[in-house]
Amino acid sequence: MLTTVAQAVVNGLLIGGIYALVSIGVTLIFGVVKIVNFAQGEFVMIGMYISYFLASSFGIDPLVSLIVVMPALFVIGVLLQHLLIRRVLALGDMPQIFLTFALSLLVVNVALLLFTANYRTVQAPYSETAIHLGAINLPVAKLIAFVVAMTLSAVLWVFLHATDLGKAMRAAAQNRDVAMLMGINPDRVFSVAVGVALALAGAAGALLMPFYPAYPLVGQVFVLMAFVAVVLGTLGNVTGALIASLMMGVAESLGIQFVGADSGLIVVFVMLLLTLALRPSGLFGGRSR
Amino acid sequence: MRRFTSRNTVWICLLFGAVLAVPLFVSNSFAIDICIRILLFAFIGVAWNLMGGYAKQLSLGHAAYFGLGAYTSTILLIRYGVSPWIGMLVGGIVAMLASLPIGALCFRLRGPYFAIATIATAQVLMLLFLKFRDFAWGAEGTTIPNLGDAPLMMQFEGKAPYYYIVLALLVIGLVVTYCIERSWIGYYLVAVGEDEDAAEAIGVDAQGIKRNIYLISAFLTALAGTFYVQYIYFIDPNTAFSFNVSVEAALVSIVGGIGTLWGPVVGTVFLEATSALLQSWLGGGHGGVQLTVYSLILIAVILIRPAGLIGIVTEFYARLVRSGAATAKEVRLDA
Amino acid sequence: MATTRMATIPRRHARRDFLKKSASVAAVAAFGTTRKAFAAEPVNIGGLYPVTGSFAQIGQGCVNAAKLAVQMVNDAGGIKSLGGAPLNLIVSDVQSDTTVTRTETDRLISGYKLSAIHGCFASALTLIASEVAERAKMPLLTGSSSDQLNKDRHYTFTPFCRASQFALAQLQMSKLVSDAPKVAVIFENTAFGTSTSNGLREQAPGQGVEIVMFEPYSAGLTDASPLINKVKASGANMLFPVSYLNDLILIIRAIKQNSLQIAINGGSGGFVIPDFYKNVGAVAEGLLGVAHWNHDVNADAQKVNAVYKQQHGEFLFEYAGGLVAQTFMIADALERAASVDPQKVRDALSTLDVSSGYAAMGPGGRVKFGPDGKNIYAHPVGVQWQHADLAAVFPKEDARAPIVKA
Repeated sequence: MLTTVAQAVVNGLLIGGIYALVSIGVTLIFGVVKIVNFAQGEFVMIGMYISYFLASSFGIDPLVSLIVVMPALFVIGVLLQHLLIRRVLALGDMPQIFLTFALSLLVVNVALLLFTANYRTVQAPYSETAIHLGAINLPVAKLIAFVVAMTLSAVLWVFLHATDLGKAMRAAAQNRDVAMLMGINPDRVFSVAVGVALALAGAAGALLMPFYPAYPLVGQVFVLMAFVAVVLGTLGNVTGALIASLMMGVAESLGIQFVGADSGLIVVFVMLLLTLALRPSGLFGGRSR
Repeated sequence: MRRFTSRNTVWICLLFGAVLAVPLFVSNSFAIDICIRILLFAFIGVAWNLMGGYAKQLSLGHAAYFGLGAYTSTILLIRYGVSPWIGMLVGGIVAMLASLPIGALCFRLRGPYFAIATIATAQVLMLLFLKFRDFAWGAEGTTIPNLGDAPLMMQFEGKAPYYYIVLALLVIGLVVTYCIERSWIGYYLVAVGEDEDAAEAIGVDAQGIKRNIYLISAFLTALAGTFYVQYIYFIDPNTAFSFNVSVEAALVSIVGGIGTLWGPVVGTVFLEATSALLQSWLGGGHGGVQLTVYSLILIAVILIRPAGLIGIVTEFYARLVRSGAATAKEVRLDA
Repeated sequence: MATTRMATIPRRHARRDFLKKSASVAAVAAFGTTRKAFAAEPVNIGGLYPVTGSFAQIGQGCVNAAKLAVQMVNDAGGIKSLGGAPLNLIVSDVQSDTTVTRTETDRLISGYKLSAIHGCFASALTLIASEVAERAKMPLLTGSSSDQLNKDRHYTFTPFCRASQFALAQLQMSKLVSDAPKVAVIFENTAFGTSTSNGLREQAPGQGVEIVMFEPYSAGLTDASPLINKVKASGANMLFPVSYLNDLILIIRAIKQNSLQIAINGGSGGFVIPDFYKNVGAVAEGLLGVAHWNHDVNADAQKVNAVYKQQHGEFLFEYAGGLVAQTFMIADALERAASVDPQKVRDALSTLDVSSGYAAMGPGGRVKFGPDGKNIYAHPVGVQWQHADLAAVFPKEDARAPIVKA
């Protein structure tokens, strides 16, 4: 019984790492640019496909492909901010929400046209192996994904707190107008924020490839969890998103274990609704909007 | 806000007459189906627009009420033999009751927070209905019994009766919107939508207004849900609480003209017609083209004309009217 | 008279003939027929399959097979009682979505003069298409296994075994592997999963099989580890997943990762298609499943398989092969009805009785429909992945290869 619970918790944490990468991106964009990026999942998908094609054409391992995927998605993010997001910043909630939503629809369907709905998988040497700690199984591919995800999160934290650009981003997130007065260029800061967020999403995609299939709709699955994590962890709070993601992974896993195999998501959503009822600004309150 | 001058009324009557006559001239089953879908989604859009357009509460979870309406009437029909006409009204009431706690929960939030919360509630309902198979057939869903031609049970052999029913629903929705628009509720709604805090500051009961408009919006959406089940003979949680329904409700209003009376209608006609054309042109096997075009249109509208397409329509109408009137001053069109 | 017709073949037909030839040399060679001039009006039949969406890989395969089948019928002379009329297949993509299925079935039936339709692979989708067809009085053939498809319908015909029969076969096969099978059943919660799993639950006691876990799950798993964790905790020594491809891949992998030693009967659905092996690899070797059709059932099936393999590079899978047979059943019905009227075709189908030819190339070798549209001779075959291909291994009469023990 204890091993079952322990294994469930471990499973939850491992997948929670992936949720974290996606949700950190969403919360970063929201915190800095004040837009909810409904298309975040699609960039995970793009990351997966880039990784897949590198693997199938050149035999490059998905972990190595991170070197390509992250910069590529950073660039896409900067372009996205510059060409599209910038135009709706002044327009209010509705156009902003629907722009990223339309973008999501567009990317999914273009992917469908280009790649068809077929599942693409990558078989890495570690795709099916696991490390055994006593009675607990740690699938290697997921473990690596978790470790890399945590590392990237840590790097991001350092960036936000110890570099000038990072601090500028946090300043712009707290108060755009004052930040401008202090000489911070919002456009540049936004571009970096979106770029970083998408790079993280792409990383999540590459990390997923060894144990998860790529297909056009794959992003929608992860983005749903990411949104819940973002709200739970307070919109705009990167650490909050991380912790909330891990919590949700565990909650989902325990839900499946003890409530029912089709109840994982219910548990997660109940968590969300309870939080909204009791602490609407998320678990880490304060910086609410 | 267009006033109903005699000229306007004439045009509207002509339009209405044309719309009424459609089933008499169009015999192709698929074409009628498109028309029914247009009317249905225009109606759902109108219901959404009350919340999202006027009060600016951007709900992306209206499928919750759509599904509740659909399931209520279906459960009453299959388990208790109650006519869907009654079931439709009961469904509307159930939806209204549901909107109270959901509203209480979600209205604390603003903007995107609110949107995400509404998405979550629709999802939770879907998950609940997926799980509980005993009274609501779970993921498998159910078909409604084939009663052939049974007007009292809202089933008909031909498509024309369905057309008229949904047309009636749309008219009801438009009339409700029109009345609200003109009344003091309408002004308060817009005030709350523009700036909730300011409105409260001058004494508007923002919470009360939001709650009331949500009741109406939920009720109407639920009616659409019942109609839909009766029309497609089938229901399952994925269809009933589909995120696509939530999205389309908002989409048609935004593309057409958010916060306007005719916006959702214009938007639906445009989007559904484009969609249907694409589908019959490209037929099967070209997955993705249709929605790609759809999303491109949406992006274009958002970037180029966020107020929606209705601007184009009113301009056209104005030109039409102005060209005919000798004394153009008499006709005042406030867009 | 034939000579006169030949002499006046319009150029258009000649070019079409040429194109057909160059695209399907193998088919013509294999079936050794001569080309004929199509002087009669084509007979329209509809094919509704999920070419896009979550069932896309299978849907595409089905469409390929449907086209091949129509070609085979036409190459053999078309419908002779209608003057050699060729079949004309009109395909519609139902996008793996129930609402789209509803509208597309409607559109197909009302937009074209159809004589019959077949589809849709996934039971959930077929149930809708069947409702529409029923009200439109259009005969529908399907290989979908849900037992619901035979309830209260007069226009739906199911030539192949039902989900409850799959369940029985799986239970019987479990006893080959273990004397005291303790089975964990996990199933996707739509029509396919619930039908099969209900069949399992009802028939297990009668077969002396103990079900220790019975869990529905929502299709579209992100992570199968929690499920497998639960399976482990249940103490089962056999797992019956009733799933489509996407989830099966995750489940099989999770089993490997968690070092779970457990016998698997993969059922039907996503298990018996080439993509399963492609995605899971050598782990699939030796895994058992069930199918309503397999390409080694008889010589006719092997012939079709050979042609399909040459055209598409992978073996002809369960549903696709089944629908080739269905096309021939429709052709047979048209032949006997000597009419394109759907009502007459439906009546001809209800009196169908074939035991040879491509129409009868399923397990059991004979097709005859009872009053509920079920083929009274249908039964499933147990299959096993052997050398990246599926071999029928159960029951004895249908086994074409010995079972390979793990």
